[in-house]
Amino acid sequence: MDGGSLEPAVVAKDLSKTYQLGELLRMETTLRALVRRASERSRFEALRGVSFEAGRAECFGIVGTNGSGKSTVLQVLAGITCPTAGSVTVRGTVLPLLAVGVGFHLELTGRENSFLYGTILGLERHVIESKLDDIAVFAELERYFDTPLKRYSHGMQSRLCFAIAMLFPANVYCFDEVLAMVDGEFRERCLAEISSLAATGSTVFFVSHDLDQVAAVCDRVMWLDGGELREIGEPEEVVERYNRHLVDHAET
Amino acid sequence: MTSPPVGLQATAAPATTTVRRPAKTRVRLADVLTYGPLIRALASRDLKARYKQSALGPAWVVFQPLALLAAFTVGFRAVAHVHTDGVPYVLFALAGLAVWTYFQAVTMVATGSIVNNYPLVRWTACPRLALPLATLVSNLPSFLIPGLAALIVAGVAGYLWVGTLLLPFMCVWLLALVGASAILLSAITVRARDVLSVVPFMLQVTLFLSPVAYPTSTLSPVLRALISLNPLTGLLDAWRWSLLGVRPSSAAVIISLALTAIGVVLAWRTFARLEVRMADEI
Repeated sequence: MDGGSLEPAVVAKDLSKTYQLGELLRMETTLRALVRRASERSRFEALRGVSFEAGRAECFGIVGTNGSGKSTVLQVLAGITCPTAGSVTVRGTVLPLLAVGVGFHLELTGRENSFLYGTILGLERHVIESKLDDIAVFAELERYFDTPLKRYSHGMQSRLCFAIAMLFPANVYCFDEVLAMVDGEFRERCLAEISSLAATGSTVFFVSHDLDQVAAVCDRVMWLDGGELREIGEPEEVVERYNRHLVDHAET
Repeated sequence: MTSPPVGLQATAAPATTTVRRPAKTRVRLADVLTYGPLIRALASRDLKARYKQSALGPAWVVFQPLALLAAFTVGFRAVAHVHTDGVPYVLFALAGLAVWTYFQAVTMVATGSIVNNYPLVRWTACPRLALPLATLVSNLPSFLIPGLAALIVAGVAGYLWVGTLLLPFMCVWLLALVGASAILLSAITVRARDVLSVVPFMLQVTLFLSPVAYPTSTLSPVLRALISLNPLTGLLDAWRWSLLGVRPSSAAVIISLALTAIGVVLAWRTFARLEVRMADEI
């Protein structure tokens, strides 16, 4: 962690995010609202006062059960949604991979999709073009790179997605539960690539339900529980306590 | 282990610091200037995808205004005997169709441009404003083809004059008006999908309430005043004045210019307010 503690890449302070539950608009409620005041829709606090820092060249894991706020942290971090309270300061560019195949167009080729994705990330044309060959190689799609995506298998699409997400340059990478979509040798290569991203100075946020993976890849791990911060610490220790918590809850 | 990691040379020092915090608005006008490459990429995606697995592909851009032109000529000229201030009816209608087909094509696609890109909005930081703006670009053929046809026919028939030099201004005006409606409709659709149901029939109604196939000079003063409130009316008048030298209704032109300016400001402010929560509400 070179200088990571001196100048953190990501600083989150008292981060809170509240969602409204239920359907936003429907005819029934519109008609009812004409007669009397509409009832307040229920709220869901996805994050409650979460604070953390992540340094450059650090792989920062996040664990927690479903609905604990892991994805919300990444969505706020990537500037997709605004926090309800608190703030996140991000130094540099963010590359989120929050779902596999996002933004792909089935009628476009692998090359065209890669180009589009890079443009969406705000990369300059020459940067994108310099990475296209690497992407094809990493995804093992050299022969199919100019074939429309609709002819790809699911595995091929996932591989392309990962290659794009890991080879385009960024200061902060976010991987949300996406490695579950690929298997075997390719997953190992992705994990190696994630480690090397952190080793070369990027910050990697890594969310996974595979606790062995988290312990193996991450430098520190944050445990979220019901939108609140339980602890941040050494991967093995946090993962072990989180695991024990899971087992305890499974028994009760 | 396989070959050395490919990303080794990457990771330049962070250039910018961004703070994400609660905000009423977060897009700034200056950001829009940087959307150029993204708008081009999205527009080229839409164009490539539109005509895949289609026998005639781009030829449909030609057929649509041609079919409308034929229908207008029968309905308004042959049946209703509309008089067009000394300009041949076909040329008169063609000039109007250039504006109309573009407005229609953009509005049809732009309304759903954000909700149809759900994954991009939900899982990436893709600037949302680029989505409706890209439809302005991807539908340019719907303007250029009938527009150039009208220009050529007007030239051959000897109608072009000094005022034709103002045509570029008319194009900017058209873009501003169509853009404002595209931005407004796409943003409201994210919150209320009702817009998707309203737009198709509103377009049908608007076609008859805009002087596309007839001149406002054929209307009674009351109707004429009412139809001037349609922002397309003054634009169509000015457009035909520039192309064919037909005398416009200056009141309609002024109203339309004012409505366009108000529309652009309103669209921007509405979009900026709704943009913050698009990922949550889509």
